[in-house]
Amino acid sequence: MKNTTTAVKPNKTAMVLLILGLSTIIFPLYMTIVIAFKQPSEMTNSISGILSLPKAWSLNNFREAMEVTDFWNSLRNSMVISVLTVVLSIILHSLMGYTLGRNKKSKVYNFIYLFIVSGMFVPFAILMMPLAKQTAELGLANWFGVILLYVVFYMPMNVMLYSGYLTNIPLALEEAARVDGASTWRTYWKIIFPIMKPMHATVAVITALAVWNDVMTPLVIMAGSSQNTLPLAQLNFQSQFGTNYNLAFASYLLSLIPILIFYLVCQKQILNGVVNGAVK
Amino acid sequence: MERERKKYLELSLCCVAAAMTVQGCGASSDSQKIEIEIVQYKPEAANYFKVVEEEFNATHDDIHLTISSPNDAMTILKTRFIREDYPDIIGIGGDINYSYFVDAQILTDVSDYEGIKDINQGYLDIAESLELVPVDGTYILPYVANAAGILYNRDMFAEHGWQIPETWDELMALCEEIQAEGILPFYFGFKDTWTCLAPWNAMAVALAPADTAKQVNKGQTTFTDEYRELSEKYLALLPYGPDDPFAYSYNDACTAFARGEAAMYAIGSYATPQILSVNPDLNIDSFVMPASNDKESRTLNSGIDLGFCVMDGCENKEAAYEVLDFLYADENIQKYIDAQNAVPCKTGDFQLSSMLDGMLSFIEAGNMTDYQDHYYPSEMAVDAQLQTFLLEQNVDAFLSKFDTDWQRYNRDIIRMVKAYEENNTEAENYEK
Amino acid sequence: MKNENDRKRTFILITIPILALFICFNTIPLIRGVIYSFTNFKGFGKYDWVGFRNYVDLFSDGRVGKSYLFTIKLAVVTTIVVNVLSLILALGLNSKIRAKGFFRGAYFLPNILGSLVVGYIFNYFFTYILPALADMAGIDSLKGSILSNPNRAWIGIMIVCAWQAIAMNTIIYISGLQTVPEDVYEAGGLDGATGWKQFKYLTFPLIIPFFSINMVLCVKNFLMVFDQIMALTKGGPAQSTESISYLIYNNGMSGGQFGFQSANAVVFFIVIVAISVAQMKFSGSKEEQL
Repeated sequence: MKNTTTAVKPNKTAMVLLILGLSTIIFPLYMTIVIAFKQPSEMTNSISGILSLPKAWSLNNFREAMEVTDFWNSLRNSMVISVLTVVLSIILHSLMGYTLGRNKKSKVYNFIYLFIVSGMFVPFAILMMPLAKQTAELGLANWFGVILLYVVFYMPMNVMLYSGYLTNIPLALEEAARVDGASTWRTYWKIIFPIMKPMHATVAVITALAVWNDVMTPLVIMAGSSQNTLPLAQLNFQSQFGTNYNLAFASYLLSLIPILIFYLVCQKQILNGVVNGAVK
Repeated sequence: MERERKKYLELSLCCVAAAMTVQGCGASSDSQKIEIEIVQYKPEAANYFKVVEEEFNATHDDIHLTISSPNDAMTILKTRFIREDYPDIIGIGGDINYSYFVDAQILTDVSDYEGIKDINQGYLDIAESLELVPVDGTYILPYVANAAGILYNRDMFAEHGWQIPETWDELMALCEEIQAEGILPFYFGFKDTWTCLAPWNAMAVALAPADTAKQVNKGQTTFTDEYRELSEKYLALLPYGPDDPFAYSYNDACTAFARGEAAMYAIGSYATPQILSVNPDLNIDSFVMPASNDKESRTLNSGIDLGFCVMDGCENKEAAYEVLDFLYADENIQKYIDAQNAVPCKTGDFQLSSMLDGMLSFIEAGNMTDYQDHYYPSEMAVDAQLQTFLLEQNVDAFLSKFDTDWQRYNRDIIRMVKAYEENNTEAENYEK
Repeated sequence: MKNENDRKRTFILITIPILALFICFNTIPLIRGVIYSFTNFKGFGKYDWVGFRNYVDLFSDGRVGKSYLFTIKLAVVTTIVVNVLSLILALGLNSKIRAKGFFRGAYFLPNILGSLVVGYIFNYFFTYILPALADMAGIDSLKGSILSNPNRAWIGIMIVCAWQAIAMNTIIYISGLQTVPEDVYEAGGLDGATGWKQFKYLTFPLIIPFFSINMVLCVKNFLMVFDQIMALTKGGPAQSTESISYLIYNNGMSGGQFGFQSANAVVFFIVIVAISVAQMKFSGSKEEQL
């Protein structure tokens, strides 16, 4: 939005409001950081006590948290699962979104669209037991099964986004390629897929964020495989009778970094992506 | 067209291949050895079990032991059961889940295990009574127990010269005395509903029959009859706690008690590690909840915190017993109770934590009674109902809801119990 | 003609494997779940068929009824709050301000903090900090923790849900605002439409498609609320904040009510699909009017 006429001055009211609003984020973040550096013996129920700075800025909590969660291995597992899920989602969901978005007039395809989108509303709890059984029967009770399940779980939302975006891309683009004798398949990869790049970024961030924080799916599917993802390993900090908040907070701060970087990288792409995906 | 499709195929193959290479780092185990796998549900004891696992494997050539201590072990076990992937041994608590597992016939009879003769009979009886309907054989080997009552700040008590109460009236008088000195007698963390069960269980052992739930299932009594005094006395404790106990979580309560904000905390021995993490110098002791005015009727509220069950699918029971022998070695049990402030279920000369001093005589005399909530189905959410009751303070409404909900949540069990009773009386009549 | 056939064949070849995958890991397990809803399955061991008993029970279960009321109340209020706030935030982030990138990054943070952290911090805030602030300000009604009051605990959950959800919704609104052409404002400015009038008559009608996407996502997310309940109240106090998902998970998975809660999940699924379809139809017709 380039400013052309009035209001050359920065919007002061907006700035003040934004800074005020920021306190709702800075405050919890401050608490997280301070607690992550403190020792359990520094925990109290008094407000000044909890908000005070730690006695020593030592990285011991982070070191110990990394040890408890077997950080590098868990991180690798989380990364592999997230990256492969995102890659597969972008390939498969965009193909599906393309097919369904381009066939809105067909009754069959329209039904398939609604059928898939309604999958968004199935409570995970009802799928859990049958999935645990089914993945075991298929020999998929491992992290590869987890990836397959993610690809299915996020299909409804991603297909909705892709097919919405598609309505914005003129058919003429494809028709021109078709006249040149290119097959539909080829046209898709050469023309449509690259054009959807902003939407790929949106899908990547939304999917990666959901996968990165998810506990239940790996817990249920990989149970007993002795392979951990980061959120699974982080469960080690809490039990009914005792929770080490200091280590837990240190660990959460660590696991926040990769996904934050990923978001910052995709940020601009997301904005473009949502614009075109949502507008009809 | 052909070529593109090939590309598509290649792309997906690449993905799979990339996936496989990463998976390739899994450990391969020696196929010569017998594999024994234990899944135990107390993640806080993970370090102990890690050491045991290492020591066992270092001293045994023929058996390879794996112990996992996952979080949310019950969910993990249930999902493994549904895909018929059974560990050899599971370590669980003596609660309603155990009752369900026995009923589901997925555990194996361990009454032929040699070590069983060293186990405190009191805990074997507790295990026996957890069976929904009596079943032949023994299905759990109690390992350690926990005890619930009242934890108190020993230094604070010594400083003011307060005496340990042995009757309900003495407890009330003590609370008055403490309050008069401007100190909070009790801390409660009722925001976490499960903590509402701690004082409830501890008082119930003296005020209601140990098998109340079973009697109700047989139709012999109602909770309204058995729990009235208990409910009323529970309400009487509230004025001696913080103003709004429902605002504070278990963690808040532990922190407050550790910081000396209250003289007593009605909770189990399991809370001490959390309390000590905040204040390692706190001098804690405990005593049995004096819920009744009859001194002699006092009994320690104690249940099986961790016991081992051999699964029905275990192929090598002898190897499993060898592992159990190792776990039950005196020095290992001692290590466990040192780390967790637990009470051993094995008879013998063990050094208990000083925090259990006030309960020691009961443990030694074998005078203990199981937690009432080990009989409550978790979906009935008795903990949440107790919280509601403490908020609304309506004894009649609470008890009548307890009875109606009980019938509803337990109807399959009640039907089973009735069928069992009928069969047995028939059998008895036949014999006559 | 040849092209048409190729196109159709390609579409079919794409649809079949992906749809098969979806059916295999979504529809089939769902059907298996529906089958369990006719049993008294505990999650393990043997079970009996009980016919429609679970469904009959469902409609006479006070706890389930209460959880529907709570969940719907929470979802409606949170959806309104989130949409109002994220629209304002989006307008702010979209106006001429300094450090735009920093603000956009910062406002995304609540979305990624783990629920253990969020739970601890907000518990602390509601239990200790807010009452202390109220005490200083002399507001008697806020001196107690709102999470310990059965009539108010839902407000605490609403605040945390909104706090976490605003980020995503704001991003969608920001992108919506960027599709509004500059000349619309210029034309409006000549007609004297500024401030609230400008928003009401010019900006908002143009971003209605984004509004409806946000509504569907909000309603879906908040009807299925679970994490925030676990982190803040675990259904308490006095069972006043038990959401439907909380009941399904807690009693079905952790408890022994798998069959009954499967029935609950089936009914819940039908309810959400109905609400969402109605919503999409409604906003679809709104969009067409414009």
